Amino acid sequence: RARRRRRRRLSAEGGSARAGGSMRCQQVSVLYFARSAELAGLRSETLSVPRQITSLQLWEEIVKAHPRLAVIRDQVVFAVRQEYVLLGDQLLVLQPGDEVAIIPPISGG
Amino acid sequence: MDESEDVPKDFIKFKSAKLSVDEVSELVVSPYCGAVSLFIGTTRNNFEGKKVIHLEYEAYTSMAETEIKKICRDIRQKWPSVKHIAVHHRLGVVPITEASVIIAVSSPHRAESLEAVMYCINTLKASVPIWKKEIYEDEYSWKENKECFWANSEK
Repeated sequence: RARRRRRRRLSAEGGSARAGGSMRCQQVSVLYFARSAELAGLRSETLSVPRQITSLQLWEEIVKAHPRLAVIRDQVVFAVRQEYVLLGDQLLVLQPGDEVAIIPPISGG
Repeated sequence: MDESEDVPKDFIKFKSAKLSVDEVSELVVSPYCGAVSLFIGTTRNNFEGKKVIHLEYEAYTSMAETEIKKICRDIRQKWPSVKHIAVHHRLGVVPITEASVIIAVSSPHRAESLEAVMYCINTLKASVPIWKKEIYEDEYSWKENKECFWANSEK
């Protein structure tokens, strides 16, 4: 598809037509906080991501959409369904509507 | 009141209005407790020689509440005599000297509530998704707690 849409389809080739398998895409909500919201220029969006993806691959897909985020790569973690996940080889199994948050270093209290 | 009616409670709140020490301590008062311990985090007017105009806080509120509930659960495991726990955190603009966080814990005797309050603020700083921006005269800075296990900063 040549036309760019608000809901971005990420690099996985699989579409909903293919039954089962890790390439099928899910719509997840991505939330941006603090410095990551400033760099991305937004607070939240819906992204189409493969059902199974490592946390590092997910980060790389998000940076493709928002290149300015690259500068904070070494400082952020994800929160997937409100559990912290380091950027790395951890395989995420995402469900439709899951929340994925970009978490810069925290400073509460 | 029978002690069985004084069920231990956790009171967690995020608000943009000014926090109240009276309100938070009254939440945890219990006729079975001889101690209420408090921590108040207030905003300082300087950082590394720069004048701080005010602080701004934001939070991933749904997850922050869940993380604070986990801290409360941990407190009750470590100090089973703790009765009530209250954590109020301010969001948005916090002027200098005003409170950004108030934690209150009640227990029958003072040792447990004093230790639980310290554990609560230390763990909050390490694990709760809340962010603070320091606003100076000409610039601003997103702060990073040294307790944050994934922060790369060398401060």
